[in-house]
Amino acid sequence: MAFPRELIRNFCIIAHIDHGKSTLADRLMELTDTVSARDMEEQLLDSMDIERERGITIKSTAVRMFYTHTDGKRYMLNLIDTPGHVDFTYEVSRALAACEGAVLIVDATQGIEAQTLANVYLALDNDLEILPVINKIDLPSADPQNAIHEIEDIIGIPAEDAPQVSAKTGLNVEQLLSRIVTDFPAPTGEIKAPLRALIFDSYYDNYKGALSYVRIVEGVVRAGDKIRFMHSGNEFEVTEVGVFTPRWKPTDELSAGEVGYISASIKSVAETKVGDTITLVDNPAPEPLQGYKHASPMVFCGIYPADGAEYENLRDALEKLILNDASISYEPETSQALGYGFRCGFLGLLHMEIAQERLEREFDLNLVTTAPSVVYRVVTMDGSEHWIDNPSNLPDPSQIERMEEPMCKAHIMTPPEYVGTIMELCQEKRGIFRDMVYLEETRVKLTYNIPLNEIIFDFFDNLKSRSRGYASFDYEIEDYVQSDLVKLDFLLNGDMCDALSTIVHRDKAYSKGRAVAEKLQEVIPRQQFEIPIQAAIGGKIIARETVRALRKDVLAKCYGGDITRKKKLLEKQKEGKKRMRQIGSVELPSEAFMSVLRIN
Amino acid sequence: MAGIYVHIPFCKRKCKYCDFVSLAGVHDYSAYAAALISEIRLYKPLVEGRIFDTIFIGGGTPSLLPIELVCAIVDELRSCFDIVKSPEFTIEANPESLTFEKLNVYRNLGINRLSIGLQSGDDDVLRAIGRIHDKAAFINAFDAARAAGFNNINVDLMHGLPGQSTSSYLDSIRLACKLECEHISSYSLILEEHTQLYSDVINGKITLPDEDTAAEMEDSGFMLMNEFGYMRYEISNFSKPGYECKHNLNYWDNGEYLGLGLNAHSAMHFSNRWVRWANEASLSSYIIKAANGKLPVETTEEIDRDEEMFETIMVGLRKTAGISRRSFVERFGIDPVEHYASAISEAILDGFMEVSDDYIRLSNRGLDFQNEVLLKFM
Repeated sequence: MAFPRELIRNFCIIAHIDHGKSTLADRLMELTDTVSARDMEEQLLDSMDIERERGITIKSTAVRMFYTHTDGKRYMLNLIDTPGHVDFTYEVSRALAACEGAVLIVDATQGIEAQTLANVYLALDNDLEILPVINKIDLPSADPQNAIHEIEDIIGIPAEDAPQVSAKTGLNVEQLLSRIVTDFPAPTGEIKAPLRALIFDSYYDNYKGALSYVRIVEGVVRAGDKIRFMHSGNEFEVTEVGVFTPRWKPTDELSAGEVGYISASIKSVAETKVGDTITLVDNPAPEPLQGYKHASPMVFCGIYPADGAEYENLRDALEKLILNDASISYEPETSQALGYGFRCGFLGLLHMEIAQERLEREFDLNLVTTAPSVVYRVVTMDGSEHWIDNPSNLPDPSQIERMEEPMCKAHIMTPPEYVGTIMELCQEKRGIFRDMVYLEETRVKLTYNIPLNEIIFDFFDNLKSRSRGYASFDYEIEDYVQSDLVKLDFLLNGDMCDALSTIVHRDKAYSKGRAVAEKLQEVIPRQQFEIPIQAAIGGKIIARETVRALRKDVLAKCYGGDITRKKKLLEKQKEGKKRMRQIGSVELPSEAFMSVLRIN
Repeated sequence: MAGIYVHIPFCKRKCKYCDFVSLAGVHDYSAYAAALISEIRLYKPLVEGRIFDTIFIGGGTPSLLPIELVCAIVDELRSCFDIVKSPEFTIEANPESLTFEKLNVYRNLGINRLSIGLQSGDDDVLRAIGRIHDKAAFINAFDAARAAGFNNINVDLMHGLPGQSTSSYLDSIRLACKLECEHISSYSLILEEHTQLYSDVINGKITLPDEDTAAEMEDSGFMLMNEFGYMRYEISNFSKPGYECKHNLNYWDNGEYLGLGLNAHSAMHFSNRWVRWANEASLSSYIIKAANGKLPVETTEEIDRDEEMFETIMVGLRKTAGISRRSFVERFGIDPVEHYASAISEAILDGFMEVSDDYIRLSNRGLDFQNEVLLKFM
């Protein structure tokens, strides 16, 4: 028996980091007795360690709750928790597409913040009903009136009767539940139509294989059905369908309007791509749902084990990691400086950092990573085309006819007072001004073309600091454009270190060369001899720094009581040395390879 | 031969750089001395057959301890342990706690070596590191020690201190040398976590001389001591010929020693096993255990033969004379040059080591990079 569609509400929560999204989700689950208070682990939905620690959501998850409204009817509320970062914009858009409504949380002590906006607009693009909620009203510094004013002013939706809650204490959260029922529309979608299920995420389980997290848009799906993924064409037999309580719970069927999972002995998440449409083989839908995109890696970096002997372990770890994250690509590569490792591709910088952190943490690996690179298109004199994601593979400059780099269209939303400084930043990043629109009095939308190569380094950090966190930013890759690019190399004590090479625009080469050389000078520990650090373009030295020679390396004191302790100190020093990379005669710490990235 | 170390953990005030177990404030000195005495008795049967040729009462500030307690402790040492007739017998003292009377009693107890913590002869620097004495107090104490008949005096100095210049450090050396002390220990400051100085530096309240300046200071200071006739016999220790500290040389020979008192460390062979142990670091646990007739030991560690060999190298290469190949063979049955062949030849190539038929030792440059050399031996 299908649950009456008119009693279903599918919604997500949009919030800035720290505005209380996970806490609110916890309260909703508690109030609906979805999870008993005793089982309640703080922030249940963010189950990955990294998600909890960073306070961000990386994967989408969902939970089904039941709520009896004042009208006496029992409603099914499906909450889909979405990621909130530009790297995952596509995933967010699919999760939003699975909902009819979005709860917009605004912190009563902070007012509306920039990053929230991008997701609000994404929700509006997907025709979602937005229900604003003012959170943290229990705090003494709360100013709900201001928050209401900002919502109305900046987003332009009425907020006078927005529920004012404290997710922390549970105050007025009941009222919010009631509003979810009254404000959000029930799903439409015909149960009798051929199956169309939207995949908004996937998850790899050791026993079940890859699960598709879906919103059934039309039709019904049951165990035993033969299904087809409309974009990939893959066919499987459904072994189980179920819902999120929030843990998986098998059900007889999933029908139009419902949110749940489909298990079909799928080997990897790569076969159940976010955005794809699932239909039935026997009674297929004529058209897939709109909005499918292949999410391809945009940012590449070399990942190497800090200890060369760990190479096999790293390979195993990567294999396991991509079981659950199909957007990561990897292939073996070698570096003179770093030995054997992998060239890995990611959706963006945050995605890259998170993957690295998971590898180190979940698989207990020590990694060395090189500076990220985008994919360049290089046409050589013989007319052939090369896609280069590793600066070391760049053909000799004399062989290059032209080089092209990916160009993005970047949308930046900001209060007007930061427009000047943001335009400056965009110009510094080789941005080309396209458009400026006043969305309302307090919000300006700037559109620029900016090379991805400039965005992947520190654009977002810079944008945030220049706008005190108020500007939000979103980008899409438009096309490849010809550009005057050069390979910037670094020499340590005369030896080239391939892992430090980067491709930069010629106009940026000097300042970048200088900045990186300075940074290297800071992070390379002093050794027994002086170490010249040189930045070079095609053999021409453009910057030089020196690490002065170490004068002493000796324990001043060592008496009877110190011996055990001093031995431990030496062991630590030895461990540290093991993690160093030998470039010619120079020992280089792992963080040196990231210094190419972290410069101001 | 073995050494005895007695730890007196009390100080009037803790110096800002100090991470030793030292306790400022009011403590029951008699209870502590009683615990020490009971600990000494507990060890009597355990170290029977061993002959001790050095005693070192260190701290803390041993000179703070009331004189009758010092007498009682020393009497107990002599009655329980087999000590040679005239051992090298050192007590540590800070200038402000030394009086002529006290010094006389020390002499009468057979204490024949005095180690005075001067650290710096510059009153500004002394204030900056939280010492409670000044230069004048040091000179008075030194003169009093000479008058009481001490003819073997060590002066502790430090460099790399906050507000210290090279010339200030050199002046401190001159002060010690001109008083013709027999021995100088000169340490570069080690900034240890959990010290006042560490947090002051981290919080930017205090700046230390940079690495190069400190190295500069050290090099010129060591040269100056050499000019005054003090020979460097260990990385941070200098003496007039014949006045090397035997007690400390025993540590650097990786010899046996018995440590008594709060958090004191010991090392001895027991039926062919090399054992290190450390006493309780908490004053109350130490006193309770000892008073109840239990050895106040907190940790014990058995060192395997490879580790014992490495330790012997680690401490032995601190001495400018290096390690005697013959004694190494006697102890381990193998020539270090053979056992550590690759490490030694690498170190020789780097210019860090010198080897003869009799010894392996660090070159002058090697003494500056001892850690680098030791890593090769690990």
